[in-house]
Amino acid sequence: MPLQFRRSRCTGCKLCQLACSATHEQVFNPDKSRIKIDHVYREDGIHIGSKHCTFCKECEAVCPEGAISNNEKWMLVDWDKCVGCGTCVEKCPTKIIYLNPDNKSVICDLCGGSPRCVEWCPKDAVSLFKKKMEAAR
Amino acid sequence: MNSFWGKMLYVDLTRQHIETRAIPNEWVELYAGQKGLGTRILMEDFSATTDPLSPENRLVLSTAIMAGTIVSSSSKLAIVSKSPQTGTISDGSVGGHIGAELKYAGYDAVLITGKADTLSYLYVDPEKAEIRPITELQGVGAFQSEDRLKQVIGDEQVKILTIGPAGENLVPFSCICSEKYRQLGRGGIGAVMGSKNLKAVCVRGWLDVAVPDIEECMQAVADIHKKDEVTSPNNEIYTDGTPVLVDFSQYSGLLPTRNFQEGQFEGYEKINSPAFKEIRRNKKACFSCAIACGNYVKTETAAVEGPEYETIALGGSCIGNADRDKLVEFNALCDDLGLDTISAGGILAYMMEMTEKGLHDFDIRFGETDKALTLLEDIAHRRGPGKEAASGAKGLSEKYGGVDFAMQVKGMELPAYDPRGSWAMGLSYVTAPRGGCHMSAFPIEAEAWGDLDPFTFEGKAQLVMELQNAQFAKFSIGVCDFWPIDSHTLARLFELTYGGKWTAAQMDRIGERIFNLQRMFNVMAGFSRREDKLPARLHKEFLKTGPPKGISMPQAAFEKALAEYYALRGWDTRGRPTVEKLEELDIEEMFIEDYKKELNHAG
Repeated sequence: MPLQFRRSRCTGCKLCQLACSATHEQVFNPDKSRIKIDHVYREDGIHIGSKHCTFCKECEAVCPEGAISNNEKWMLVDWDKCVGCGTCVEKCPTKIIYLNPDNKSVICDLCGGSPRCVEWCPKDAVSLFKKKMEAAR
Repeated sequence: MNSFWGKMLYVDLTRQHIETRAIPNEWVELYAGQKGLGTRILMEDFSATTDPLSPENRLVLSTAIMAGTIVSSSSKLAIVSKSPQTGTISDGSVGGHIGAELKYAGYDAVLITGKADTLSYLYVDPEKAEIRPITELQGVGAFQSEDRLKQVIGDEQVKILTIGPAGENLVPFSCICSEKYRQLGRGGIGAVMGSKNLKAVCVRGWLDVAVPDIEECMQAVADIHKKDEVTSPNNEIYTDGTPVLVDFSQYSGLLPTRNFQEGQFEGYEKINSPAFKEIRRNKKACFSCAIACGNYVKTETAAVEGPEYETIALGGSCIGNADRDKLVEFNALCDDLGLDTISAGGILAYMMEMTEKGLHDFDIRFGETDKALTLLEDIAHRRGPGKEAASGAKGLSEKYGGVDFAMQVKGMELPAYDPRGSWAMGLSYVTAPRGGCHMSAFPIEAEAWGDLDPFTFEGKAQLVMELQNAQFAKFSIGVCDFWPIDSHTLARLFELTYGGKWTAAQMDRIGERIFNLQRMFNVMAGFSRREDKLPARLHKEFLKTGPPKGISMPQAAFEKALAEYYALRGWDTRGRPTVEKLEELDIEEMFIEDYKKELNHAG
């Protein structure tokens, strides 16, 4: 049940990143967000880059400590087991995982099911992706 | 860890010296942030008679206290300086992300003074602040300069203020560009950067910004956003952006047309919001803004985030141009050269009328937009016919005549609202501290677009004064103009982000205090009632169509309203704040002492 990002709706305001860092880190800091959206004007026009957890579970597969698991909806990190080796950071295909100042892996947990980034996005550019197949099951 | 660091960067380009200085909490309590704090920092140990293009002039970059927080539309960066265009104090603000970035870099403000030996840029991040040479960018446009600086620094996320060739060549209506299409447009502050050999300011930040109670803040701010409809998908500033005003102005008969000879333009439907929506590719927001006013448009020949209403009117109807795609070119060219679109359009319009009336042959007529585009390049590079045009409508009219229709106040060309269609706007133009500007108060919403009679000065002095105080508070707490916010909400936002208890009355007081402080600056710079006047056309000529048709705005009535305004402000008959008024406003004693000396000197 990963996040879904719709590029055409995004205005680049970064409210999603602010909501994320405020919720999880109790500060406003877009660099500490678990979703990252960048709008940049390049020579040929506007470029929108997005990074967020796609629930690919690669981090779980590569973690040498078995610190990462999932509950079939979002990823879970056991910080007691995490040793800060950075393997997940390195192998994450979207490069959205980072290590916090305590050297612990930070991965999107969908805020426990109701993501604040979705709640704060004023343009419905970020939403929860519900697979039709799953919904039908 | 806070939303207010209490820190500014002091940069002396002459001595190549940088240090961190403290910003006292008292300044925030008196002047809040952004516009107000920037004004206060500029005026510390600074003479109002300083030559604007001398090394002694200052550029003060100032953020809102709540910049970098989740409050919508709160991250604009103010830049305060003395204007080379008007000689008044001048502040403006630029959107994009740089205001928040400076906060994340650990500073509330930056004060830049002096002059570098070679063309340089200032780089700031939380770990270092450096003045670095960048001579390769001499004469290079703002767009390419920004791309190149990102390469040189090796970080695409760095946020940049830069000038184009116009600023380097000290054109007195040069703007400062950020993220390609966001401009600090008015007052020629780009030329102040140019005079300091400062091509750019580049900022990168990653520090935490905290507020007193983040949970309370998130909840309350979400409620406020909803209440004020900043998140509404039907907000016209989002669905259309400022081009929506073209139709409003046309219907009200106040759309400046062919240098304010008319107030309605036959080609308005070719350059209004529906026309620009046809070429819109993206909506674009500034940092933390839930509204998103920006329209990124693209034609076969040019792309721009814009054009905004002012640009459409000054580069469109005011110069007889109904070609949408050429307007996009006009906008992109001005942004890249670093020219204020409003002044540029106003000057072109004056030159066109002079030529058509046979008063002086500037070799350009209404509707000759291609010639206009060439002339803009000449102005920015101060070559050929552009050399003279760079002196502005005021300067040109003093030499060649047509003073009555050089549409400027204090040397600043008028924005896109003919005050004959909404009289209080005339009062607003002459009393705005930085000259002919529409940002100090916007009474048109209450008059031509609201319920009040637009063709009387009855009650308008009071209206303009109240709106100005509210605007100055709003721009100092630091909310963008596109959020129509009341003083109660402003006070609440200040509580949530800065802390303490604040009331609506205190907000209005902060606004009034800053307005008076800026007026004092101008008085000390030599301004008085004699500069508070409109171009004679607005009193002598009627508009011939639309609601203002055949209604004159008599000079005598205007003067009477201005006198009433001074009295309400607590100023003397020459438009100078009285010492009693300043004391009532708790303006710091050191300013009052200096000001007393000035009053005695001026007599």
